[in-house]
Amino acid sequence: MKSRIINSYQTPSGQRVEVVKQSFSSFHKPPIKRVAFVSGLHGNELEGIYLCNLLTNYLKKLQNTQPEKFLGEVHIYPSVNPQASAIGVRLWPFLSVDLNRQFKNTSGNSLARSSAETLIKDLKASADIVVDCHASNLHLKEVPQIRIIEGFHKKLIPLAVQCNVDLIWVHPPSPVFESTLGYNLNKSKIPTLVIETGIALRINQDFVSQLFKGMLNLLYHLGVIVTDKIQPKVNYPIVIQPSQVVILQSDFPGFFIANTDVKKNVSKGDIIGKVLDSMNGEILQEITAPRNGFLFTLREHPLIYPGDLLARIALKEMD
Amino acid sequence: MKETILSIPSPFGPSIDLLKFSWEGNSRNETISIVSGLHGNQLNGIYLCSRLTHFLDSVEAGKEPNYYLNGLINIIPAVNIPAIQEGNSLWSFNDLDTNLTFPGNKYGEISERIAATVYQHTKNSQFGIILKSANSHYDDAPHLSCLNLDRLTKDFASSLGPKILRGTKNSTILHLSLHKQWLEEMSAVVLSAGKPNHLDQSLCETLFSGLVNSLLWTGVLGNDLKKPTKYQLQFTKENNEEFIVSHSGGFFLPAVKLGAEIETGQKIGDIVDLYSGIVLEPFLSQSSGHLITLRDYPIVYEKELLAILLNKSKLSFWPFK
Repeated sequence: MKSRIINSYQTPSGQRVEVVKQSFSSFHKPPIKRVAFVSGLHGNELEGIYLCNLLTNYLKKLQNTQPEKFLGEVHIYPSVNPQASAIGVRLWPFLSVDLNRQFKNTSGNSLARSSAETLIKDLKASADIVVDCHASNLHLKEVPQIRIIEGFHKKLIPLAVQCNVDLIWVHPPSPVFESTLGYNLNKSKIPTLVIETGIALRINQDFVSQLFKGMLNLLYHLGVIVTDKIQPKVNYPIVIQPSQVVILQSDFPGFFIANTDVKKNVSKGDIIGKVLDSMNGEILQEITAPRNGFLFTLREHPLIYPGDLLARIALKEMD
Repeated sequence: MKETILSIPSPFGPSIDLLKFSWEGNSRNETISIVSGLHGNQLNGIYLCSRLTHFLDSVEAGKEPNYYLNGLINIIPAVNIPAIQEGNSLWSFNDLDTNLTFPGNKYGEISERIAATVYQHTKNSQFGIILKSANSHYDDAPHLSCLNLDRLTKDFASSLGPKILRGTKNSTILHLSLHKQWLEEMSAVVLSAGKPNHLDQSLCETLFSGLVNSLLWTGVLGNDLKKPTKYQLQFTKENNEEFIVSHSGGFFLPAVKLGAEIETGQKIGDIVDLYSGIVLEPFLSQSSGHLITLRDYPIVYEKELLAILLNKSKLSFWPFK
């Protein structure tokens, strides 16, 4: 494995902040495929970083013992917003800007914007396929899933089904995605899968292990690494469109107390949780499943305002 | 008229109330909307709105000699009220930039509801002004900016007072801004002046006169004895701007004043080592121009923006002489 600094800048007190890329070269020349894993665009989404750690360790061991198993290249960018990760915040510290809204941003000039440019340029030069690993935000817990913007789905679904996720959500394009890394790489014809899993500032080991298995399967499927062993089977995910998602929101401010957890099939009428008056505990709203389906998002942050998202149910059940 | 156009109850404490102030004249030909407080720490715009509200209440009460209301004037002075109450640019509950949530969603989460309400209450105007200060850590000399420099917008901008109009390059990140959404409906400009977390009263008084002049120009306000002034406007495109960026971290000590005309080779400032005070990097301007933005917060990282210069040779004037 070779480590290379793809971007660095000096802090006011003189130390350097460095964005590192770990590369595993191909035994086969030219490489069959080049795959990159990126994580930490949002500094507090630690599950992606941990997933990259697992991959690095596995691939390092494999390359040390059986370098001939690498028929393609793997590049891992485990922490692309290191200062934000160091203090566990989502946004680029100091500027309070979202690094994942700086791609193809042609307005102004900031350190975050130039860092985004450096990253996407390096990815375009190094990878044929990219996996951008995110956790959820601080409010919602998500099952391991891949979100795909309509229009890119024909290329991406065949890759996404290899990733051992529970769900693939194909949603319509929206301006909100136009300045993201995933959108811009896909636009540049570099297929990019955007993973969402778990919740910010936590590591759900089960979810990350599931994804780790999926990432290895993707590498096998692409022929980037080969194995003599029988590959473990991966889940075939539910593939849904927006019309197949039920969104449950709060009508009141207060506390949300969940009665269940994600990654479960629910039946119509099942209690998902309740909204309580935050001053006296009185039940203001009982949140029930309006239809049978798969609960893939659940509110974790108990503090809620009217309109806040509490749960999402896919109208397809998990086998 | 003072109107609560959105009220969202909070789990603790008072509700989040979005207020709109409006004044309507007899001949409702034209409508203007003025919005500020999209970021919670940009105070000059909020203060300017309060000055305008005070003035327009006096006009309505017949206490401003010769002034009268003609059209409809809407002011939404404090959009991101949760962030304003928190004293931050963004509301820390969701860390969302309100100015990247337009046109919003009236059934969505708070920021989306606020954006949808602001947009619904302003979109039918003929003219729009967004008041802001510089982004965090910077200071802006008063100037206007616009994504669409058509003739009407240039004329409108020339009524407002600031002498600079920057053409903003369309960028994906701006697609969800209020300004971009407004451009589908009206002639709109952004007026930026001063720095965040700071209220510059004398600057606001200057800008206030320009805003009143623009109300006269648009026809929403009348004064039989006073014709609106048309100020000469210099305008520039984004590719005519020089971004001066640091090459080391430390203290940035500026040697120039915001709004100054800078000559090629003139010293902009120094980067000084945080511990030793040694000058790490003197900054000399590569071109001549107008210093529109200057770093205000002195601690800087390498590769950070220190100043923006509007290149002198490429400034055009409006109206053409």
